Amino acid sequence: MDNQDLMRSARFRKEREADWRRLEGLVIEAEGKGLQRMDFADARDLASLYRQATTSLAIAREISLDKALLGYLEALTARAYLCVYAPQERVGGLVERFFTSSAPQAMRRCWPFILLGFVCMALGALTGYLLYFENNDWFYVFTPSGLAGGRGPDATTEALRAVIYGGDRETTGLGAFAAFLFSNNTRIAIFVFGLGVFACAPAILLTFYNGLMLGAFLGLHVDRGLGADLAGWLSIHGVTEISAICIACGGGLKLGAAVLFPGERSRSDALHHAGRDAVKLALVAALMLVAAAFLEGFARQLVQDLNARFVIGWGVGALWLSWFLYGGRRRQ
Amino acid sequence: MIPRPMLPRLRRKRKKDRPSPDILMPPEGVALTLPIAGVGVRLAAQITDVIITVLAAGCLLILLAAFNLTSPRTIFAIGALLFFFIRVPYYIVAELGWNGQTLGKRFMKIKVVSHDGGPLTAHALVLRNLMKEAEIFLPATLLLTLDVATPIESIASLAWITMGLMVPLLNRYRRRLGDIMAGTHVIHLPVPVLLKDLATETPVVSEDRKKIVFLSHQLDHYGAFELQTLETLLRAQSMRPAAGAEQQRQATIEAIVEKIRNKIGYADPVPPADRLRFLQAFYNAQREHLEQRQLFGDRRENKHYAQADEENRIGN
Repeated sequence: MDNQDLMRSARFRKEREADWRRLEGLVIEAEGKGLQRMDFADARDLASLYRQATTSLAIAREISLDKALLGYLEALTARAYLCVYAPQERVGGLVERFFTSSAPQAMRRCWPFILLGFVCMALGALTGYLLYFENNDWFYVFTPSGLAGGRGPDATTEALRAVIYGGDRETTGLGAFAAFLFSNNTRIAIFVFGLGVFACAPAILLTFYNGLMLGAFLGLHVDRGLGADLAGWLSIHGVTEISAICIACGGGLKLGAAVLFPGERSRSDALHHAGRDAVKLALVAALMLVAAAFLEGFARQLVQDLNARFVIGWGVGALWLSWFLYGGRRRQ
Repeated sequence: MIPRPMLPRLRRKRKKDRPSPDILMPPEGVALTLPIAGVGVRLAAQITDVIITVLAAGCLLILLAAFNLTSPRTIFAIGALLFFFIRVPYYIVAELGWNGQTLGKRFMKIKVVSHDGGPLTAHALVLRNLMKEAEIFLPATLLLTLDVATPIESIASLAWITMGLMVPLLNRYRRRLGDIMAGTHVIHLPVPVLLKDLATETPVVSEDRKKIVFLSHQLDHYGAFELQTLETLLRAQSMRPAAGAEQQRQATIEAIVEKIRNKIGYADPVPPADRLRFLQAFYNAQREHLEQRQLFGDRRENKHYAQADEENRIGN
């Protein structure tokens, strides 16, 4: 058909169709291999053809009633928009940056929340400890029977000592590692972080409750004169593990505080902003939990000497602390 | 005094005035449509991803068992550990590598985009997928371990699960908590398919057939909606009908042709061989007419355009 015979919108389409087809090809290429790896000429054409296509779309909405054309242009410009304005970010150096700067910096920025996490845990432990000496039966209230593993006010001192210095060969190695990682503490750490969003209260309560269990446990062993032995047994992994829970609690509190006190921002905006640091805290806590599971699964059964247990546990703790304090500081 | 029913109506009106969540305004100033993905399609993508990661974990577990690295006592714990260590990096690495798509999302043709229309940052993807752990997987495992013996814990976890599920339903962008924190939402990826322009197709006309011509007043009966419905019908004609449907299709075409003839007052009878040609010619003429009216500022949404104009005039 002759060009002059066509109606206006059909002519409009005929004149521009080749450019749209080319843009379609470029969009598929950009989505496939990324904007960074495209030829200079192609990338330049993608941007300019995208702008032409948005103009075409604006005109087509006014002059054309062809549903196929409108649908095509809508989809094409939307796809091209994502290629031009939301391209793939470079991911190189991401892990390195996390370890060398962004994680310790986030830890330092969030110190009040992390401190609050530690305070919750310590208060819980103190309360549990004092309550145990008031009445032994509190132990059963705080500690689920599955977790105590037969240890309780009814157990003999010898039995308690056997657990602390027992080389239970069945539970070493990979199986133990898996079991410990999915033991109570990891679950509590995820809970504490995720539930912090709901206005802080669940994070504080759970951390406090965890402290109560710890305190009652400590009380039981101090009562039998095994205080130092238990401290050694706990500290080899507990320094890392309990700190991880407190840090996860700090992250949860940061999110909860954003919901409770958004300040000038809207709540979802404040949450978005707080999320930047909170996610780093969660990653640090996850890393520490994995390290704690390694220590618990392998080192605790192999190292039977009390002093060595203290040295390993607190040494690892000091390493974490120095990472948080000195990592990512710029030289003046 | 304001009558009582006014207030809710005002509020409803304000809600209507907000821009649709599907519309995104780029710097070019031409509104683009990126439809929000609903909860259903996202659930389907999630289930696909869970199946993929469970399969991967299962294969590794069988491999470990083949090398005698597991014992019946620890196989469950190791399986859970493998699933955990495969799924956590899987979501993050897949969404980083495919710019916001996991395998499940690719199957369902949906994509994560930044809420402000910019690029997806690594931090946003890590955050939304870590929150998935607390929002989806932990409640799911909790659901499996619900127990009548511990009613308080069960009620607490159920409350948590319902709260987590309610969040996407309660906001217009269908964002879950992780999305809100990371500043992202999920869209349907539009697929551009350019169909042929019906107006450029010339039906084969033999010399002895007369040309079908419409008068201007005959084209004043329909609006854009009817035109585009006719467009859909004509496009469907190019497809082969199912075995027994040929007769039915002919009957439909005949009914439509008669209806249009009656409505616009087209006096000449249309012979059966010419019916499609008639519809094609009517489509072209009607489209040209409507597009011309539109250029003059007379936009006709559907055949009730005259009444709508009347109401607007009274309303103003």
